[in-house]
Amino acid sequence: MKNKRTFIDPLVDNNPITIQVLGICSALAVTVKVEQALVMTLALTFVVAMSNTIISLFRKYISSSIRIIVQLTIISTLVILIDKILQAYMYEISKSLSVFVSLIITNCIVMGRADAYAMQNNVKDSFLDGLGNGLGYGMILIIVAFFRELLGFGTVLDIRILPESMNNGLMILAPGAFIILGLIIWAQRSITNYIED
Amino acid sequence: MKNKYVFILTLTIVCSLLLSLAAKGLEERKNKNIEIDMKKNILSAIGIDVNSFSISDIDSYFSNNIDTLVINLEGDVIGKLSIDDLVQVENKQNGEVQYLYNNQEYLPLYNETEKKVIIIPISGKGLWSSLFGYFAVDTKDYSTVKGITFYRHGETPGLGGEISATWFQENFIGKKIYSSNDSLQSITVIKGKAPENAQHQVDGISGATITSNGVTALLNRDLKRYEPYFVKNRK
Repeated sequence: MKNKRTFIDPLVDNNPITIQVLGICSALAVTVKVEQALVMTLALTFVVAMSNTIISLFRKYISSSIRIIVQLTIISTLVILIDKILQAYMYEISKSLSVFVSLIITNCIVMGRADAYAMQNNVKDSFLDGLGNGLGYGMILIIVAFFRELLGFGTVLDIRILPESMNNGLMILAPGAFIILGLIIWAQRSITNYIED
Repeated sequence: MKNKYVFILTLTIVCSLLLSLAAKGLEERKNKNIEIDMKKNILSAIGIDVNSFSISDIDSYFSNNIDTLVINLEGDVIGKLSIDDLVQVENKQNGEVQYLYNNQEYLPLYNETEKKVIIIPISGKGLWSSLFGYFAVDTKDYSTVKGITFYRHGETPGLGGEISATWFQENFIGKKIYSSNDSLQSITVIKGKAPENAQHQVDGISGATITSNGVTALLNRDLKRYEPYFVKNRK
């Protein structure tokens, strides 16, 4: 039961973007097209799940005075690894994601989960927590990207849905992401009656 | 407490080993990707739809139809140098790329022998970023423009970013870089619509005057560098 909550919680009730409002920077930047958002989701989920697992595995050996730098070393190793793999196998996408893959290192979600969760919990729970948070982040990313691509380019995953004449340039720019993200947060909070304290 | 140092040392060594292995192991694939990407951009500058091309298609098209040449600033082809010998230096102020070999400046050139087009690299400053692209000219008269592409820039999508849009690039096709009295006259991106039958002007991008001016400036400068070569080959 507890495992399930560890995994489900960050998807909705404790979503890193809509509830904790973390990782907004990349949520704005890589949501112009669904394809980018999908790859970013996979990359971030891999990094959070792996870094949580590794850090939890060694949590008894990481002395608290150097824990941040140890976490950072592990996270950046994983991120650079992802970046190299994308450049070798998915060059087009790595070009469009450009610096945002490297910036996963500074994504608050990754460091946040490593320090707040993986340092205190066992390996299995930490892995699930990482998976849940990565997917919770990715879910919002994909929803935002879906609307931005649909309204901005008239396509979804490059398949044309709306005629080109209906394209709205605002959706491609940063304000488009702000508006959609704001609407999602508003909708979720009014449905769940979540109030920040 | 010794434990702490052993741990951090092991961690550092394991991580750096892992990364060096990945970097070295994937380097060849990555370089191949960069090379293919460059070739794709050159081909799309002459209006070839590369999306349907596989990697081997691109390689074979390139080796069959395109000669890569190096010329000096006087416009002579230097047979003993290849493009790989040249070191690229970007001037961060104006986005100009210089190609050096032994501190001597040269220029690269791609000659498409079947369609009779030459393709030259162009670069310059936009509003936020340097713009990099290719420009293709017909070798029958060394004046008619066959195409332009921009493959790398950091301009605002929807505004300056429109330089990579089809409508903007198609504007250039058929324009001339030589005026009727046989002197080099580059193409100007003007504000608003270019007059019909204009030979040296193309429609501007609304809301992106600085990017448009940047394109005008870079074309002007980069075409001038190739002028000696054009003069030698124009008949």
